[in-house]
Amino acid sequence: MRRSLAFLLLTGIISAGPARAETLNMPVLVPLTGFLSLEGTSQRNGAVLALRGAQPPGVTVATDVVDTGTSPEAAVTALERALGRGTTVAVAASMLGTQMLAMLPLAADYKVPLVTVSGTASITEQGNPWVFRFFPGDAVTKEAHARYVVEELGKRRPAVIYQTTAYGQSGRAHLAERFRALGAEVVYEEGVDPAARDLLPVLSKALAARPDVLVLHLHSGPTALFLRQAAAHGVEVPIVAGSAMHQPSTAALLDPAEMKGVCAETAASPVSGGSPEMDRFTADYRAAFGTEPDAFALGQYDGTRMVLDAIARGARTAEAVRAALADGTHEGLAMTYRSDGTGNMAHSAVIVCYDGTSRVPQVVRRYDALSGSTR
Amino acid sequence: MLALQLLLNGIALGAAYALVALGFVLVLNATGAVNFAQGDLVMAGGILAAALAPLLPVPGLLLLPLVLALMAGLGLLLSLAAYLPLRHRPPVAVFISTIAVGIMLQNGVTVLFGPEPRAAPPLLGGGTLDLAGLVVPEQSLAIVAVAALLIGGQQWVFGRTQLGRRLRATAQDPEMARACGVPVTAMVMATFALAAAYAGAAGLLLANQFFVTPTAGGDLILKAYIAVTIGGWGSVPGAVAGALLIALFEVGVSSVLSYPVALGALYVTLLAILVFRPQGLFGEVARRRA
Amino acid sequence: MPRLLPHVSSPGGVLAVAGAALLAYAALYASPYELRVLTVAGVYALAAIGFQIVFGLAGALSLAQGAFFGIGAYVTGILGSRYGLPFPVTFPLSLLLPFVLAVLVGLPVLRLESHYFALATLGIAQVVLLLAVNLPDLTGGANGLAGVPGIAAFGVEVPRGRPLAAAVWAAVAAGGLLAWWMARGRWGRALTLVRDDPLAAATLGLDVGRLRLAAFTVSALYGGAAGALAVHTQRVVSPEVLEFPVMVSVLTIAIVGGRGRVAGAILGAVLLLHLPEWFRFLEQSYLVVYGAALLLAIVVAPYGLTGVLERLLPPPAAVPVPPRAWAERERPAGTVLCVEGLSKAFGGVRAVDGVTLSLEAGRVTGLIGPNGSGKTTLINLVSGLERPDGGRVVLNGREVTGWRADRLARAGIARTFQTASLPAGTVLDAVTAARLDRDGSIAAAQAHAGHALERVGALHLGPRDGAALPAALRRRVELARALAREPAVLLLDEPAAGLTDDEKADLAARIAAVAAGGVAVLVVEHDMDFLLPLVDRVVCLDGGRVLAQGAPAAVAADPAVIAAYLGDAPS
Repeated sequence: MRRSLAFLLLTGIISAGPARAETLNMPVLVPLTGFLSLEGTSQRNGAVLALRGAQPPGVTVATDVVDTGTSPEAAVTALERALGRGTTVAVAASMLGTQMLAMLPLAADYKVPLVTVSGTASITEQGNPWVFRFFPGDAVTKEAHARYVVEELGKRRPAVIYQTTAYGQSGRAHLAERFRALGAEVVYEEGVDPAARDLLPVLSKALAARPDVLVLHLHSGPTALFLRQAAAHGVEVPIVAGSAMHQPSTAALLDPAEMKGVCAETAASPVSGGSPEMDRFTADYRAAFGTEPDAFALGQYDGTRMVLDAIARGARTAEAVRAALADGTHEGLAMTYRSDGTGNMAHSAVIVCYDGTSRVPQVVRRYDALSGSTR
Repeated sequence: MLALQLLLNGIALGAAYALVALGFVLVLNATGAVNFAQGDLVMAGGILAAALAPLLPVPGLLLLPLVLALMAGLGLLLSLAAYLPLRHRPPVAVFISTIAVGIMLQNGVTVLFGPEPRAAPPLLGGGTLDLAGLVVPEQSLAIVAVAALLIGGQQWVFGRTQLGRRLRATAQDPEMARACGVPVTAMVMATFALAAAYAGAAGLLLANQFFVTPTAGGDLILKAYIAVTIGGWGSVPGAVAGALLIALFEVGVSSVLSYPVALGALYVTLLAILVFRPQGLFGEVARRRA
Repeated sequence: MPRLLPHVSSPGGVLAVAGAALLAYAALYASPYELRVLTVAGVYALAAIGFQIVFGLAGALSLAQGAFFGIGAYVTGILGSRYGLPFPVTFPLSLLLPFVLAVLVGLPVLRLESHYFALATLGIAQVVLLLAVNLPDLTGGANGLAGVPGIAAFGVEVPRGRPLAAAVWAAVAAGGLLAWWMARGRWGRALTLVRDDPLAAATLGLDVGRLRLAAFTVSALYGGAAGALAVHTQRVVSPEVLEFPVMVSVLTIAIVGGRGRVAGAILGAVLLLHLPEWFRFLEQSYLVVYGAALLLAIVVAPYGLTGVLERLLPPPAAVPVPPRAWAERERPAGTVLCVEGLSKAFGGVRAVDGVTLSLEAGRVTGLIGPNGSGKTTLINLVSGLERPDGGRVVLNGREVTGWRADRLARAGIARTFQTASLPAGTVLDAVTAARLDRDGSIAAAQAHAGHALERVGALHLGPRDGAALPAALRRRVELARALAREPAVLLLDEPAAGLTDDEKADLAARIAAVAAGGVAVLVVEHDMDFLLPLVDRVVCLDGGRVLAQGAPAAVAADPAVIAAYLGDAPS
């Protein structure tokens, strides 16, 4: 925390420094308080790490981090505040779907691109050319999720347990659709409030439906809670969790043994490594923030780097950045990003599994060029 | 067998909720004011325990006294900052001042310790016992034992000791207590310290099995408020019973119906209790004047 | 302080100047961001104005204001984004649905005492939130609904920025004026009495339940309107509008601004919505500072911003209204009130057990008996604060058994209380409250209240704070308040307690004068030297039963009465 504050001061100094360098703004408007503060902080860190890296020549890209809390109202206010200052070429915007939906019309009015890692499907379905999602949407991740369950594990009777939040309900809808398309029968599904403490009731009801796999789509804490209770009760049915499982803070809550055999979908797993660039990102991230990076941080990092690349190639206005994002291709650390025409930049997802000895998962399957469409 | 297992889980959860509600009732009785920061105090206790654990690698049982002491200190600060300056104001002023303290706690914890969910160390061991096919987490037994000990201890202090008599006298009629030579201000501060210590115990216990995030307080204060109202405003046994009832809904009813429906059923039951038995299940000793 | 501009030195003047300055700033200088914060502040101000009515004036801690806000938001959101309905259709419906819900739930829960009412309303809010999250086909679930249209009516669209801010603040101004007008009239005064002393309000003829229900439903209208405007401002609706933080914000605005004040709601909203913005540069820590600032505000200004304003610039004293007598009515002679076999038990204790007595016009009846013999319970039964288990009460030939207190009060029964407490505020206001259901205007009620005070020799107490008066004076004011009811039956519960001998003599003379005007008076009293010369008859209760009744001398000499109550020592 102290480091990031020092960094902020530093950016302040840089941006106020040499007068000949042109200053462009890329504000970071993410939820730092409230129930999504964990994911929002990852987003912030990813964007900040990218902006702290090599700056485009001749330009200073300054940033200003503003908390959007959890309400659409706060997000819109933050956006309006950020856009009133200097030349803003892009905004790193909240991963909370409702906040994105509220910010989109304003972004279109002001003509400024929003770079986000929100998975909520509908944000790229508004016909709004100013949104760019650097994280596979729910349609994509749930395609990988369901295909792994059905095609790789050969399961036909999944039980789906999801969170009664935007994240959970959106994922649940796509899982249901995808399982139907794959010919698997969902034998049980239930929504769980994030405040629920004892998950044994839902676990026992799910098991009573005799599923051959438990498919989770829960936030970080509840995922860990579910796995711990499942382990305590000796549940034999395999568990394939949602992207929250891959967050290192989820694994930190559990004994490695409690995660044995558990798999999860995600866009990427930076801590699992895979390339020297990825290892360097993870090391830099740890050094800068003292925590482990997750896929949200990586996605926001990649997205922010794509914006910086566009600036380096001469983009000096929001419109130029938008054009570069819409038409360009970016070799990111997690995957290759390219817009499908509606702002979906990410079309890959991976499945990671835990071996029961380490909190760092292994990537076992990679899905590329996913369309997210069942048709 | 499943029913027994659920009952066991429900009792453990209810015992933890009872500790949350107990701290709430203590302040309520001593000051007539609703301490809305109680849920955030529980959260702070949990985060504190989780943060202390890596520094002091001892079982939770040995960590507990330290957490209790630190939280009692926080309780004193709370009374100094949010209650004593407002003691002669309408109770709703304290409602707001404790909301303000809750906001500070929740965000202060995020700034200091980060937004990650955390787990506190188990009281004794993190294992489970197998009792005739029943999976009994050691922590569940520990929660029930600690809660019973603290609730029993509180009843003993209030019933049998000079301190307890003074606390009760302060709660019943501060003016009269002061006239009888009871140091009312000190007693009120002691009550806040005690309530915060209970919150610390609840936080430590809950944060092992169920983890803790900086935003956990909001849900807990709601549960405590409901428990205290169901049980009869200000009644200690009522608050314990109310807490158990809530846990029963969360664990029992949700094992039959879905969790959101169980939550809805809890609120509908609450409304029914209020409409048909407005004095709470255990009654409130409040006669009107005239 | 020299009064350069007399009009500006009053709180109202200061507020008007501050409002004009704010308006000028918004119209000329504000950036889109500042306008948006101001717009959102207006939305919250509107919700808080409604909350001031139910919580500030009527004293009911409703935690459903957030739910009304959210329902209004969802009505506009669903109808606007799913069905494309325009503002002139959605806005009234956004008011109607919260209103209907308030009526439906208000009937059962408004009877509840304070914290139970608070929790019941919170429970309702939580159920509504659960429904919004778990009915995705209707509400869009946790994701909510996007694409809500802006405000547009009759071909005119209100774009964001200045026009939207102006529209929202126009609604605040209209709603604020309406609320201010309601608060200062008879309705507002009746609500404050309901808040400060619901029992007294009932005995002064005010229908507490109906007043509370009205306040609750009015607050729902404001909440719904604010919710609708909130959705037009942010263009999406999601469950956050129903979550507890919205309710907490509204409550905080009301308290920090000044409880019960329309100006307080507006000042509070403007301050609280800007406060976090001022600390934005602190990144994550800004809410810690916000919490500290909030704590500081409540400690430094416990009566809110309007309280500070009023202390700095006290409002000019009200011009006293000259007392005016009401037209005395012809009073029937003979038996006014008949009580037959009246009974009431609490648990297993028979507090009143088959009491029969009658009160006659122009006569004073004394009611004596040991403590716990049922005297106060009898008065409570007759005045409607308790419902009898058995027996009959007949008033002027009409059976009134089991009527509510306010109905009995309107039928002509007035009473005082043993504890004689008066609400905070001036003595004149306290007595004026007794005339709210009779007089057509506050001015007339004040004039008549002055007359009532004059009749007990307390006109000079008019401007003083009733709650701060010594007990003896409070009793006198309470008597005036009962007289202001123009009662047919006057029930006095220990009116002479704590008075000096001179004051007792004065009181006896005044009671006698009231009776001489044709009122049937019942006096509960322990002081026999005061009571026996004053009364025409005495009834002695013991263990809830009538031990003896008759002429004062006969009852005082009754051996059973002496054994049970008077004892050997002559009192």
